[in-house]
Amino acid sequence: MTVGTAPIASAPIRPARSRTGLAAGRLLRLEFKRNAMIWLIPVAVGLFWFDCYRQSVAEPAMWNLRTMNMQGQALLDFVPSVVGAAAWMGSREARRGLTDLTGITARPRWFRQLAVWAATTGWALAAYAGCMAVLYGMTAHQAHWGGPLLWPATVAAVGLPALAAVGFAIGTAWPSRFTAPLAVVVVFFALGLSSQFARGSSSYFQVSPGLSGANDVGPDPSIATFYHYLPDLPIAQVMFLVGLTVAVLAAIGIPAGSGGQWLRRSAAILTACGLAAAGTAVYLTGTARLDVHGMIAIPALHDAASNRPIRYTPVCARTAIPVCLNPAYAAYLADVRTALAPALSELAGLPGAPASISQAATIFHQEQANQVLINGGNLRIVKGRGGRQSMALVLPDQLPGEPSSPVYTNDDFIVQIYELSPPLIDRVISGTRRRRLGVAALTGPDAEQAVIIGLVTAARTATLTRIIRQANMIQVAPDVPSSLAIISAGRPPGGQLPQVRLPAGVQAAAGRFAALPAATRHAWLVGHLSALRAGRITLAQLP
Amino acid sequence: MSIEAPGLAAGGEPIGQDAAFASTGSVSSAQRLTWLRLTWLRLAWLRLAWLYLASRRLPTVAAGLIGCGIALRVALHWHWDTYGALQLPLIAEAAAASIVAVSTGSPFGEPERVTGRWLPVLRLGSVLAATAIALAGLLIAGATATHLAGGSLDVLRNTAGLIGIGLLASAAVGSALSWAGPLGYLVIGVYALYGDWHGQPLTSPWIWPGRPVHDFGAALAATLVFVAGVAVVTRLGPRLRAQE
Repeated sequence: MTVGTAPIASAPIRPARSRTGLAAGRLLRLEFKRNAMIWLIPVAVGLFWFDCYRQSVAEPAMWNLRTMNMQGQALLDFVPSVVGAAAWMGSREARRGLTDLTGITARPRWFRQLAVWAATTGWALAAYAGCMAVLYGMTAHQAHWGGPLLWPATVAAVGLPALAAVGFAIGTAWPSRFTAPLAVVVVFFALGLSSQFARGSSSYFQVSPGLSGANDVGPDPSIATFYHYLPDLPIAQVMFLVGLTVAVLAAIGIPAGSGGQWLRRSAAILTACGLAAAGTAVYLTGTARLDVHGMIAIPALHDAASNRPIRYTPVCARTAIPVCLNPAYAAYLADVRTALAPALSELAGLPGAPASISQAATIFHQEQANQVLINGGNLRIVKGRGGRQSMALVLPDQLPGEPSSPVYTNDDFIVQIYELSPPLIDRVISGTRRRRLGVAALTGPDAEQAVIIGLVTAARTATLTRIIRQANMIQVAPDVPSSLAIISAGRPPGGQLPQVRLPAGVQAAAGRFAALPAATRHAWLVGHLSALRAGRITLAQLP
Repeated sequence: MSIEAPGLAAGGEPIGQDAAFASTGSVSSAQRLTWLRLTWLRLAWLRLAWLYLASRRLPTVAAGLIGCGIALRVALHWHWDTYGALQLPLIAEAAAASIVAVSTGSPFGEPERVTGRWLPVLRLGSVLAATAIALAGLLIAGATATHLAGGSLDVLRNTAGLIGIGLLASAAVGSALSWAGPLGYLVIGVYALYGDWHGQPLTSPWIWPGRPVHDFGAALAATLVFVAGVAVVTRLGPRLRAQE
């Protein structure tokens, strides 16, 4: 073969579309490589760890508490890095005096700017994904039951491109070395403050991604435990953030020099579409209401299927009357058992005593402004068949381990649940038919009052002894109840409990009855409860 | 940068034509020109300082710092309760500190470093001047407002510490991204104030925004960070990066 006959090597002719795609890929790769966000990822991750991660894992190991708490915090932690880096990159061409030079390149300016934004957002999302993986992995390792709530993580993830878009637009509009820090301060202030303006469950400000639920409810252990997490508010927030991102990015392409005429017109149309989406989301948020399960429901976005309760296999304590909890609360079963077991041992087998006690969901009710009535920490009758009734136990809406001031301990939790015992004892002994157990009435005969007081005293002594034994203390001297106050469940709204002195004879008989062995007390009650209720037993006849 | 004024001996005594002008007292046009030239040279340090400050955008920096004070004053017009009353001044303080940190950047880079003998002095002067403007703006805003939660000492401590962080960040990563230091610390400070309010106080003195005003350890930590930042930037200057 000679030179003259050798075939001429030529590169295969590629379609124009393929070359365009390759060029776009190369441009994006360059922007990824030269992006300021790389330098700021340690800052973002450090802040996430210090603020969001530590705060989330300080909560009890329940998916709802940890993930709902994370949404707003994660966004605030990423604001300095993402907004700052985006503003810095957005002002790059103007700061370096390259606007004219790059203006004559083949690509429209808008195209190049979108590549810079995409690279900044990509690094931010990569860092965020890593942070989420650690937080969700840790929660999956520790949680007793349930699965990850993905909506809070999704809202925060969609928030990052929006933050980058806002920062990038600010940097493009006011290119200066001081633009980045000032943009960060403005966005941080706006994001942090936006959720504070939310008043009530129909506030437009709930569209702020800083909120993962009703403003004055916040993360609550009962939310998304008994009923599905409602995606209504997250959907509206995602719609708002996507609309905002599209509108801001498209607005960058409108000024002259951003591209050809059709490109600028397209940008204008996209801006209008983005604004319409964001505006629609704000409007929909204004139609929201707080549902009874503590979540925000938006009628236009609501799926009725979300109202179905979550099926679960309860975890039960081996008490005289079984007490069963949602498996998400498995860590608190021992505390509930400690609080209720003494009273349930006294009441088991008596006429009118419940056959079982099962945990029920907390009920939420929106009051004026941001006030929400949370019906936690109570017992109520849920069904009755031939005198064998089941009871629903609603645990307090605060759990031990949740950050609070003062610190809410396991002992506080036990004492709060124990306070449900006196009304339960009162109801079973007196045989009343009230569905809700509030403050015990003590309106019966003297002997009945003495028995109730005696049982409450015995249950209280046993509960407190267990608490103190758990705390490794040596001696216990629980008070002997001397007033009606000690057998109340919760405080009546707006005032102190009435301090009613009982007759000396009743107190003495109650003390005597409480001092009996538990088996003797129980045997006597089984045989004499009907007569006691009928008032045929006097104080002197009590053992 | 070396400055030598001809016509002045060591100690500032006039020599040559300047001495003749001083002794005779007669003024010719040539002598007047010479006198003007010498006066101009005597004030060269002032000109140098002004050029240095201009290269660091001091007018813009001053405007930004005064703007932070005005923003704080406007915000304090409304009533802020709970921990927001302490977080709000902290945001203005962090903004001022980030502006001071960014202002350390040089548009000349290495050429300035190899020729400027007086550069450390100029750096020190510009940082202290910017710090003074920042503190004055914020303190005046607080003093004229109806209620500044934490008081002036809180503003003084927090701003000084945040500026120190910004200067250290400038030395570490360059002035371009030095704002990440004070603004990152802002998030930590905001969290500390939130924790104070919700019964989870952070007791470390290094997180001074969350500590009481009269906490000596917190004041000491903020002062140390400020002194360290000023010293490092004075000695080394902001880090130069290839693309700057």
